[in-house]
Amino acid sequence: MSFWDARFLWGEPMAASVLAAALLGYLGFFVVLRRMAFMSASLSQVSGLGVAVAFWVGSLMNVEPHAPTPWLLSPGTFAFAFAGLGAMAMAVTPRSRRVSPESLVALLYLGASAGVMVVLASPRIAQEAHEVGDLLFGNAVVVRREDLVELAIAAAVTLGLHALFFKEFLFASFDADTANVFGVPVKRMELLLYFSLALCIAVATRAIGALPVFAFLVLPAGAALLFSERLHVVLTLSVAIAVVCAALGYYLSWTLSLPTGPVMVSLTVVTWAFAALKRFFDKRK
Amino acid sequence: MNLLTLNDVVVGYAKGKPLLPPVSLTFSSGEVVGVLGPNGAGKSTLLKTVLGLLPPLSGQLSLPLKRRPRLGYVPQGARPDFAYPLSVLQVTLMGRAAQLGLVKRPSAADAAIALSQLEGVGLAHVAQAPFRSLSGGQQQRVLVARALTAEPELLVLDEPTSEMDPAAEHALLSLVSQRVAARGIAVVFVTHEISAAAAFADRVVLLDSRQKYVEAGPATSLVCSEVMSRLYGRPVEVRREADRTLVWLSGTVPSEGGAR
Repeated sequence: MSFWDARFLWGEPMAASVLAAALLGYLGFFVVLRRMAFMSASLSQVSGLGVAVAFWVGSLMNVEPHAPTPWLLSPGTFAFAFAGLGAMAMAVTPRSRRVSPESLVALLYLGASAGVMVVLASPRIAQEAHEVGDLLFGNAVVVRREDLVELAIAAAVTLGLHALFFKEFLFASFDADTANVFGVPVKRMELLLYFSLALCIAVATRAIGALPVFAFLVLPAGAALLFSERLHVVLTLSVAIAVVCAALGYYLSWTLSLPTGPVMVSLTVVTWAFAALKRFFDKRK
Repeated sequence: MNLLTLNDVVVGYAKGKPLLPPVSLTFSSGEVVGVLGPNGAGKSTLLKTVLGLLPPLSGQLSLPLKRRPRLGYVPQGARPDFAYPLSVLQVTLMGRAAQLGLVKRPSAADAAIALSQLEGVGLAHVAQAPFRSLSGGQQQRVLVARALTAEPELLVLDEPTSEMDPAAEHALLSLVSQRVAARGIAVVFVTHEISAAAAFADRVVLLDSRQKYVEAGPATSLVCSEVMSRLYGRPVEVRREADRTLVWLSGTVPSEGGAR
């Protein structure tokens, strides 16, 4: 069966990968320029802890891991709630010499990673632990219809927020003190920005996996910033690179029987390396 | 016109730990106030309180206009993040944020105001160039244009020239002074250059948190060898000549503050 003939199999996973990549490629602009790369990895891990806790809570209430669950108990709700709380902790914790933003990111990452292992070791869900792994950190080969719907909702909410407040997000990120003086509610804008990040990371991690999410949040925007110094070009390129890497990665993994997430990540790495080399040689001219 | 008054305002970051004795100051249209003091004196803390970024520990900020004056702000040299892929015009347009409010995008009229301010600082020809491609001095001029794009009543400059040499600092302050003189804007600027304060300020505020010292008065009487030596804790010589002020540490070469 050719790739095209099998489209009923890969249609939804491909759509989810491309949508997640486009969304993360756009948000990556802020992640890279605000130097929050590891914050995104941390939030991904925290949302994973949320999923693990949802299974554990579900087991207490005798809910089957793969059976439909009420939305309040669903892993998606827990993932978003945990990521949202993590993002809020990072946004509201005042910067000080004793607690640097990096320490907080590391604390959340380590706490969440250890927490996931401890929760999954619980005898209540031990039998499903290996399957839970896929649900925890996604698998772009098989994407459920709910994941695609959740992604579409997250995309609509995020794009709506950013269409309204892009000017404020940009000013608050570029020069927070001056933005404050000029009447921009910087703290509230940062909370909204972090909220949109938490939402997208939580949903995308479950759909396509933690590794591709981290890669799409950092590398396409990083490459776009190496290619151009124009705001709109950087934003467009960042989304385009992410989308092409997701779609091409999916195609290559299908046709060459390679693992999907790592192929997508490899393509973003190659693109970033190409952009860095191009910049290096352009500067030498 | 009186824009903002500090009545016995105590500044600092933690309750019970005031940085300076109570400060009483008035900022009036058309007046230029220089803030001088050694490193760690509390200059930026005082400015943050004036700007509303830091609440006073005690005392009152009174607003004779019954509202905060429109503010323009030029931060310290290294404060904005120069990695952003923004054009000079996009940076300057940020100055319209207060007028636009949330959500609304800048219009062609806003762009025209920003361009005219860029023209005023001699940088209209690089309006579309990437901000980060400019030299440090040019970037500071763009930030001055951005502050003026806000059509401020009170312009606050927090060591805007900390990474410039004294000549570049004088050029920038001359430019600010020309741009604000005709419009009666009140200006407050923090500087480490005594000669710049002597040349551009009508009044000076002298601060030192270690000595718990605050004094405000006319620049002509406070910028003198005796007061400056006391402020900086080392012998400083100040000599006023016809249209310039020479300042130097005893045993070094004088630096010059020319006329505005």
